[in-house]
Amino acid sequence: MNELVLTLGWLGIYAPVALGAAASAIGCSIAGQASIGAMLETEGGYGRFVGISALPSTMVIYGIVIMFTLNREVTPANAGGLFGVGFMSAISLYYTGLWQGRACASAINAAKEKPEIFGLSLAPAAIIEGFAVFAFVFALVISAGIPS
Amino acid sequence: MFDRPSDPDAYVTLMASLPDSERLFVAKRPPLSRLRLDRRLKALAPEDAETLRLMEEALALRHYRLDTEDAEVTRRARRAMDHVTQPALRAILRDRMEIRTVIAALRRRRAGEAPPPPGWGHGRFSRRIIAHWAEPTFGLDPVFPWLREAHGLLEQDDALGFERLVLTVTERLMRRHGAGHDFDIEAVVIYVLTWNIYDRWARTNAEAASRRFNALAEAALAGHDAQLAKS
Repeated sequence: MNELVLTLGWLGIYAPVALGAAASAIGCSIAGQASIGAMLETEGGYGRFVGISALPSTMVIYGIVIMFTLNREVTPANAGGLFGVGFMSAISLYYTGLWQGRACASAINAAKEKPEIFGLSLAPAAIIEGFAVFAFVFALVISAGIPS
Repeated sequence: MFDRPSDPDAYVTLMASLPDSERLFVAKRPPLSRLRLDRRLKALAPEDAETLRLMEEALALRHYRLDTEDAEVTRRARRAMDHVTQPALRAILRDRMEIRTVIAALRRRRAGEAPPPPGWGHGRFSRRIIAHWAEPTFGLDPVFPWLREAHGLLEQDDALGFERLVLTVTERLMRRHGAGHDFDIEAVVIYVLTWNIYDRWARTNAEAASRRFNALAEAALAGHDAQLAKS
């Protein structure tokens, strides 16, 4: 039983990086594909499209920071806490990264038609980023209560 | 087999590489030719390409000749319905065929034909159309609010106005079904079907311009002939 609990503890420590990386990869891929499509249709402003495509890459950075914060000797006493905080923040990063990629793709698709709405079209992606920051910050705050 | 969810990110690059469908209707020159559209559509997976082909074959008017029989229309619609698994596309197929049925009924009645036999037409309203043949809108006002205007245009022999109304209604329907589909196969099919509406719209405008030009030319030549006759 202890082995399973310890395994869950380690899973909680590494999950934010693993799912954060997956989220960044998927999100950047979706937004990147949109920017490639937009480049076929437009005559300029390519740099902006590529710049937006990179927005979901922040998820893996948040994941790395959470991992370092959670990283400690895993014991039966703290494994549950590590698993709960790490795994749930990882799930949150995964979905925010995925949907941020879709929001970026829509922003690119809209901005290619109307360059004047470029800034405004990024608002949904920025709001999603805000939710990821919530998950990140409160993961750091709550992890302070997990025994070392 | 039915209600298979489609990948929402399957065609991000393809959809982002196409001009916005609303721009198709406001542009003075076509922003996208069929040749260029077909080149982009090569990115479709074979299964999705087949879905698009069947949907276009059933719904795009350019795939029909003037003498295409009702049985052939029914056969194409059934074949598409048997193949297509996406709920949004099946709903489009159903709605478009129902609109086509009600328009065909308006035209038949205008031509002085008797009510069609039972089993004629597609969708939920065929029997109602036959039962209310004498009513201007077949009693379908609540379902198709534009039907009264369409009936009026046909009565005035305004074929161009009628055609435009039908295209507008169809385009609105496509936009409604397109909500929530940005980069999936549904979005691609809806885009192509909207392109077909635009194509039809552009042809209608060209035909109207040609008719107007011919009328003006004839009027001018008639005036010229009268002057020549006087001198």
